Amino acid sequence: MKDYAVLNINGEDHKFSLGERRGQVPYSETLVQTLRERMGFAGTELSCGEGFCGRCAVLADGKAIASCMTLTSECDGKKIVTIEGLQKKANGEPDPVVKAVLDYSRFQCQICIPGIIVAVKSIFNKNPNPTESEIKEGLSGNYCSLEKECGIGTQLVSHLAKHPALR
Amino acid sequence: MRDFQHYNAESFDEASERLKENEKSVAISGGTDLVNLLKEEILEEAPDNVINLKTIKGVDYIKAEKNCLKIGALAKLADISESQVILKKLPILSKAAGSVATPIIRNAATIGGNICQCTACEHYRFSHNNGGRKICYRKGGKECLALHEKNEFHHSVFGGMKIHNSPCTDNCPAGIDIPAYMERLRNDDLDGAAKIIMKKNPFASLTGRVCARFCQETCNRNNHDEPVAIRNVERYMGDYILENSEKYYRNPNKNSGKKVAIVGTGPAGLSAAYFLRKEGHNVAIYDRMGEAGGMLQYAIPAYRLPKNYVKNTVDALKNMGIEFVMNTEIGTDISPEKLEESFDKVFYDTGAWKKPVIGIDGEELTVFGLDFLMEVKNWMKGKLGQDVLVVGGGNVAMDVASTAKRLGAANVTLICVESEEEMPAGKNEIKRCREQEIEIINSYGVSKVIRDGDKIKGMELVKCLSVYDENNRYAPVYDLNEKEVIEGDSIFLAVGQSVDLSFLDEKYQLDLTPRGLVAIDEKTYMTSKKGVYAGGDMTSGPATVINAIVSGHGAADAINKDFGVEAHDECDVSEEPPFLKFDAVGITRKDAAELPLRLPNECSLDLEDYYTDLNWEQVKEETSRCYNCGCLAVNPSDISPVLVALDAIVKTTERDIKAVDFFTKTPMVDGVLNQGELVKEIEIPAWDNYKGSYDKLSLRDGKNFALVSVASAYKVEDGKIVDARIVLGGVAPVPYPLREVETFVKGKEINEAVAVQAGRLACENAVPLRENANKLQQITSAVKNSLLNAVQ
Repeated sequence: MKDYAVLNINGEDHKFSLGERRGQVPYSETLVQTLRERMGFAGTELSCGEGFCGRCAVLADGKAIASCMTLTSECDGKKIVTIEGLQKKANGEPDPVVKAVLDYSRFQCQICIPGIIVAVKSIFNKNPNPTESEIKEGLSGNYCSLEKECGIGTQLVSHLAKHPALR
Repeated sequence: MRDFQHYNAESFDEASERLKENEKSVAISGGTDLVNLLKEEILEEAPDNVINLKTIKGVDYIKAEKNCLKIGALAKLADISESQVILKKLPILSKAAGSVATPIIRNAATIGGNICQCTACEHYRFSHNNGGRKICYRKGGKECLALHEKNEFHHSVFGGMKIHNSPCTDNCPAGIDIPAYMERLRNDDLDGAAKIIMKKNPFASLTGRVCARFCQETCNRNNHDEPVAIRNVERYMGDYILENSEKYYRNPNKNSGKKVAIVGTGPAGLSAAYFLRKEGHNVAIYDRMGEAGGMLQYAIPAYRLPKNYVKNTVDALKNMGIEFVMNTEIGTDISPEKLEESFDKVFYDTGAWKKPVIGIDGEELTVFGLDFLMEVKNWMKGKLGQDVLVVGGGNVAMDVASTAKRLGAANVTLICVESEEEMPAGKNEIKRCREQEIEIINSYGVSKVIRDGDKIKGMELVKCLSVYDENNRYAPVYDLNEKEVIEGDSIFLAVGQSVDLSFLDEKYQLDLTPRGLVAIDEKTYMTSKKGVYAGGDMTSGPATVINAIVSGHGAADAINKDFGVEAHDECDVSEEPPFLKFDAVGITRKDAAELPLRLPNECSLDLEDYYTDLNWEQVKEETSRCYNCGCLAVNPSDISPVLVALDAIVKTTERDIKAVDFFTKTPMVDGVLNQGELVKEIEIPAWDNYKGSYDKLSLRDGKNFALVSVASAYKVEDGKIVDARIVLGGVAPVPYPLREVETFVKGKEINEAVAVQAGRLACENAVPLRENANKLQQITSAVKNSLLNAVQ
């Protein structure tokens, strides 16, 4: 049994002691718990708890994953980037994805935004020139409580497809 | 979630070993199913260990080989859906993988995990944090909750599937597959139903009248309205079997050369005789009485079990070639040693006929209830008083009290130590006694007979405060200060029966249990003497007819095994149908079919208490009330129907399993994989020249389990379909291959009309539930569109 896990979170290595003693990270702890409660990265939201709403999305080695369905103890050696890491990269600047998403004017409750930013970054990590339908597919895991009133799957997609910061 | 130990496996072998070491271990791959099951504590047992498969290197490959595609079990769905290799060779798989959940989940989910995931049924998935997980049928509980509760999206329209025995079968001492024979009857297959019953109970016409109906007590309908009237249906079947006795009690016409003696023609002996004679052994069955049947003949009154059924049963057994030697007492007419010499095996079932002594003052004036019933059977009229007291709370006491009333006693009072709920007698029997104006005094024991010389004046009763102790043992506690006197001129004691072994002399003694019963091995029914077996009441104490039948069968099995004979199922039933179907309308009927009960003032000794039997229409209606308890949840995977359609092979750490065997024989992967067995690779043959598609209808994005999905592969030539594979997902407990539709469309020119016809054919024999009938329309549509798209 591994008794530690080293996660690179937003550019910094963190070594977590794994186990059941006080102060250790239990094997059963989920990544969203670790990020929010231990690391204070509250930008990542905990919503459905089942992985389908997209609000807990973080990047793991460049790909969006549901942190509520990921065990921290299984992330040894992984590079985790949360919304905080995208808002302020190593050079102090926000990632262009952040500007592109925040430029969208129709967000209402805004709880989806961190997850959407992560998902968009994941899309562009895979393919720097995605088609509109690839963007749409890539955002299909980000749930809008207002039943798409904000146009998450439609106007946001075309907004992102055209946005200069993403070209 | 509850904490656990976590191991990173470096190989499948290591993972398998760890899983086998401790059964409370689970494997984790992508985690997108398991983590939620653990968080919500849905499963009854939290695992001690979680074994991580993601650390096994090199098992996430996607390889194209000459004639097939090989995909490692840990290959992620995101990679599968975007793989150019798969897109070129099997776009149906790309589409199916891409349709699963969301891209975020697909980045972690693996194909191995996807095909092993748990169902999405909301009852199965009810969180423990919400007030307690639901132990539904799938989790080992009794009832499929979806039948009466929410079943709109994730449940079958083609019936349920068996995971374990239904509670009726489990509670029946003989384990008769009741729902299976009910289903045969719904399909007008009386022969099939008869064979299922005969497998475990050769005397349905008798048990159909007197059985204690353990099955009905646990029927799941009890939670809603009235249990299925199983006994009344079995009664009809028993009479049918007797009417066709030459078919069901066949003379084997072969001689195994072995000889077995049975002592006692009670139900245990008759059962042993039937199961032994079937294998061609020579069976001789002895009884000290003149007529065969034991308690069936002499103790159970004719108004409960008319004797012609006993006679017909015995005649059928005689026609099998079983030799009945009556009026012959072992120990008197033949010694036990002689029996052992002349026969290869001996089975004793002499029952429990002896009067027990309870030790009250004046006991010598009382009459053993069983003796009374036997005397009545022999038509001795006489010494019956006007004010009859019966002591006892079981069915024999009921029979004694009822018989005394029918013989003309003015007042009959029954006294027992048990409270009404505790009385061992059947509820219907108690009700019947009350209807005949027999008074029942509960919670009183008897301390002495009140006499005037040799004349009975009455009895002294003493209040019983409790009957059973904390360990549920019989230990009545009396309040000696609360006594009552009751008048009467005849007293019958029906407080139990003892076993009489005096016919075995001192030299030939069998070991006894502390309670004075013959001691036998639980599995083989063998006594302390080698080659001598025993069963029935003499080994268990007074019990029921069906218990005796089971013990006779068990002893016959043990004897057959010892002879080296494989007991064959002469009554072999054809292969079980895959889905447990029921009558969607019939199950809404609340009232059970009852036999018309004879009015109390018309009751007599020799007329059955029911005016008539059920007729066939009534029987069929009653069988339509059976839920055919099974799991109704659908298979949640999108990949499984595709693998079934494409004849994939699932390769595990132990063997290669064809997709149809892996996915469609049982609804849970636990039913296929052994403990510690893991899926390593999936191999899919090439389907060049076939047009494949995966079309999925789901409710929403994200948590989008298929409501209806169609995995299809068509070979199209000149606008005609020359070969087809069509498998439905989301509509049955397992992926549902549409074999009939595949045959129907081959060679046909596909137009709208043909496509619609095929779509309708797909819905044949559907059993929609309360909320999901719209799936049928969706299936028709989906199949139709699948065909039309193929030929475009």
